[in-house]
Amino acid sequence: MIKLEHISKWINQGNIRNFILKDINLNIKEGEFVSVMGPSGSGKSTLLNVIGMLDTPSEGDYDFMETEVFKLKEKQRSNLYKTHIGFVFQAYHLIDELTVYENIETPLIYQDVKSSERRAIVADILDRFQMVGKKDLFPTQLSGGQQQLVGIARALVAKPKLILADEPTGNLNSKQGEEIMDLFVQLNKQDGVTIIQVTHSEKNASYGKRIIHLLDGRIEKTVTN
Amino acid sequence: MLKNYFKIAFRNLWRHRVFSLINILGLTVGMTACFLIFLYVRFELSYDKFHTKADRIYRIVCDIKTPTETMHPGGPSWAVGPHLMGGFPQVEAAVRTTGDELLVRKGNIKFQEKNSLWADSSFFEMFDFKLIKGNPRTALNDPLNIVFSESAVKKYFGDKDPIGQTVLLTGDGFTAKITGVMKDIPENSMIKADMIVSMNTLTRKLNPGLDDQWGNYGNRTYVLLKPNANASAFEKQIPAFLEKMNGTEMKLLNMYPTLILEKFKDAYLRSDRNDSNSGSIKNVYIFSIIAVFILLIACFNFINLTTARSAERAKEVGIRKVVGAERQQLTRQFIGESVLLCVIAFLLTIAASALLLPSFNLLAGKTLSKGVFDNMGILGILLLASIVIGVMAGIYPALVLSSFKPVTVLKGRFTTGTRGILLRKGLVISQFTISITLIIATIIVYLQMNFMRNQDLGFNKDQLMVINSNGDPARDAFMHAVSTLPNVKSVSMSSSVPGGGNMGAYSKIQNVKGEMQIANLDLYFVDFDYLKQFDIKMAAGRTFSRDFMTDTTHSMILNEAAVKMFGYRSPKDAIGRDFNQWGREGKIIGVMKDFHFKSLQEQIKPLSMRIEPNGCSLVSIKVSGNNLPGTISAIENKWNTLIPARPFSYFFLDEYFNEQYKSEQRFGKLFLNFAILAIIISCLGLLGLASYNTMQRTREIGIRKVLGASVTNIVNLLSKDFLRLVGIAVIIASPIAYFSMHKWLQDFAYRIPISWWIFVIAAVTATLIAILTVSFQAIKAAVSNPVKSLRTE
Repeated sequence: MIKLEHISKWINQGNIRNFILKDINLNIKEGEFVSVMGPSGSGKSTLLNVIGMLDTPSEGDYDFMETEVFKLKEKQRSNLYKTHIGFVFQAYHLIDELTVYENIETPLIYQDVKSSERRAIVADILDRFQMVGKKDLFPTQLSGGQQQLVGIARALVAKPKLILADEPTGNLNSKQGEEIMDLFVQLNKQDGVTIIQVTHSEKNASYGKRIIHLLDGRIEKTVTN
Repeated sequence: MLKNYFKIAFRNLWRHRVFSLINILGLTVGMTACFLIFLYVRFELSYDKFHTKADRIYRIVCDIKTPTETMHPGGPSWAVGPHLMGGFPQVEAAVRTTGDELLVRKGNIKFQEKNSLWADSSFFEMFDFKLIKGNPRTALNDPLNIVFSESAVKKYFGDKDPIGQTVLLTGDGFTAKITGVMKDIPENSMIKADMIVSMNTLTRKLNPGLDDQWGNYGNRTYVLLKPNANASAFEKQIPAFLEKMNGTEMKLLNMYPTLILEKFKDAYLRSDRNDSNSGSIKNVYIFSIIAVFILLIACFNFINLTTARSAERAKEVGIRKVVGAERQQLTRQFIGESVLLCVIAFLLTIAASALLLPSFNLLAGKTLSKGVFDNMGILGILLLASIVIGVMAGIYPALVLSSFKPVTVLKGRFTTGTRGILLRKGLVISQFTISITLIIATIIVYLQMNFMRNQDLGFNKDQLMVINSNGDPARDAFMHAVSTLPNVKSVSMSSSVPGGGNMGAYSKIQNVKGEMQIANLDLYFVDFDYLKQFDIKMAAGRTFSRDFMTDTTHSMILNEAAVKMFGYRSPKDAIGRDFNQWGREGKIIGVMKDFHFKSLQEQIKPLSMRIEPNGCSLVSIKVSGNNLPGTISAIENKWNTLIPARPFSYFFLDEYFNEQYKSEQRFGKLFLNFAILAIIISCLGLLGLASYNTMQRTREIGIRKVLGASVTNIVNLLSKDFLRLVGIAVIIASPIAYFSMHKWLQDFAYRIPISWWIFVIAAVTATLIAILTVSFQAIKAAVSNPVKSLRTE
């Protein structure tokens, strides 16, 4: 599903080339659950952004579902990730002015889904996440864990094949974190959604079937559970 | 999707209530001011445009060259109208009009009709004053025909049909038959009349031969040219025509008239030969500029606040992009939102205008518009303007924000670029430049008004009550009766009082070289007590005195301006020189000091005074301040017993004189109001920007406070930038204001100097207002607990 070849990204500071990612080669198959670990500044988030097509590397090739991503035009690329990728952020990144329901609905709006269909899909997912009672609340009225649930619901609403989660439990306490991780496992197993998560915590990383350790922009080692 | 945008837009509005309020309020105030000014401007521009033949109607005005000066009488001579009519094929019709004040009586109902008019018979064919009853072609055909306006009919006849009825005119002097009823003349007409008497009542009956008087000037004359006639070619033919008709007399009197054709529809705004009912194209320009300025200020505000606040929306944009929004969609959302705000402001503008319209009509002194919705055209323009403003204000943040990469926006704090800051600074400077210019202009306008009101006029206008006897034969008896009343100090009679009109007389005065120099002299007929009554001082010679038999016929007093015109270096030298005026000959017995018998907009012109009891109809009564109502009613009693045929009416000279400045005062008031508006809007903008700026720097302020900055330090830090902008605005505004106000003042013959301290006051005022606005926010931020502001990070 994802094939990264010789991906490098650097920033020029004066004459010195500072590598953020250096020669990353990575293959991820559909249905995998991958954790990316590493210390701060090791390039985890950048790698995730490159995979999510929110960031471009300085060098290298990227095939996503047999499409050469970097040969696509901006619009085609955004269409690609719009339909296939869902994002989950550490800081949830919900739109404060919209209710839970509307936040979840937004991706569908941008995919031109009809309003009746949207209603059905959102209702479905609210049901599944047991948030029907909270659908008219605004993000600020929710706890962090609940907000992250909304974030995941929003990421899932368009039925993506891949979920990219950037430290999804980073702002949560351990109990809330566990719930989120259980949810990921469930999604991965039952729905076959491919999940790539970036995390600091060994414990959360172990939920993944494969753990990639990054150090200074390189893949230091890969552990398969 | 639209619903989603609307939701976001309204929730955003509500969440940032203060900003929204400032934004919408500023725009509403600006657009309301603009709308009202538009109404005024459109009304002024609409004068006399309603005549279907307006393009072909010309007003003939006249310059008369004498050896010493060029005179500008109210119009050409009486003979011009009728003779042009016969002499030129391209003239379709010619109409002369003469304004008058007629005493009209129907049974017991009598009024002094201030707006009466004599007019030639084609009047209703040339002008679009609609006759409801009567035939427009024939209504003024015969002597002693009169046409009433609808409201005049109501006054004299109630609901009865007036056609064929008669009224008595000029103190029962003659009977006129009503031959027509016209719709009331609209307010945007320069010709104003409540009743129109056929001109040939004058030219055939009362004063036969008037039609051939080439030397009797001052008659308002209009011509209607045939379609396709060339006005300037026609104008060029006139001198030869005058020469042919009147050449000998011109040479004899040494007075050479030039006739000038003025487009009638432009006369109201562009001619300087109108009477008091006159507009000024300059004021129209000034107010149009102000309107545009105010709208610009409001528009700048809007753009400023919208772009400043755009940073806050960065996160939303990032998220939307991540979940799949395209750039175009985001651009549309932002522009739509700002257009929505503008449309809300537009709706509020309609409400505000509807509310303010009555008082604005009052301020303008005319009914500019009866209702807001009578002006769909202007409303349409405003709606369009508000949409354009919305798009303009929305386009910058829309493009900038939608171009950001979501990662950068979502990752860290988003900071606005220097480009936006520069733009905002530029806009704030322009706003304050406009505001400060208006402040300076307002101060100068007010100082000038004040100067005109308080300037020593060279005569005393206090406690002087003036009654127009309209030449009634009983006026002497009345005067005598009044002079015996206890609170009446003195009484005098004259043809004119300062501030009103006066005669101009063809005169010959012996000049310094001993020649009899021809001049058009302003002339007052007075009685022996006039100079004392008005406290007019003498510069040389003596005043009129009952002790000199000759004074009633052979004596004249000139003012200093006249003496100067005839070449005398000192007033003394003019004493004893000869005069010849309107058939009277004699000596100059005295020279009075110059006094302002016209408004201060005009230079003091040469003036002559003679004793001529028959020419005096204004009775001026100096009253003491005690029991004024009692005195007035005592005077009224005397009037009613002695001159029962005429209604009693009076005015006080000081008010009457200041009436001349009514349009200036109105101008000043309007100006002040709009200047204040401009300043308020600018301040709203500054307030919004300052509070936004402070909010953005909460963290910085927190850190500075932790590091030991005092409240003063912080306030300085936050205010300095804005004050610098105001300073720059002062520097730009001062020369602009200086030059434009210098130009404005040129219209006043007597004017104040533009002193440096006016600029200082304006600068200090603007700075104070800015400090107040900015420091309020700054202090709030400075005294807050730093721990709080840092924790939010």
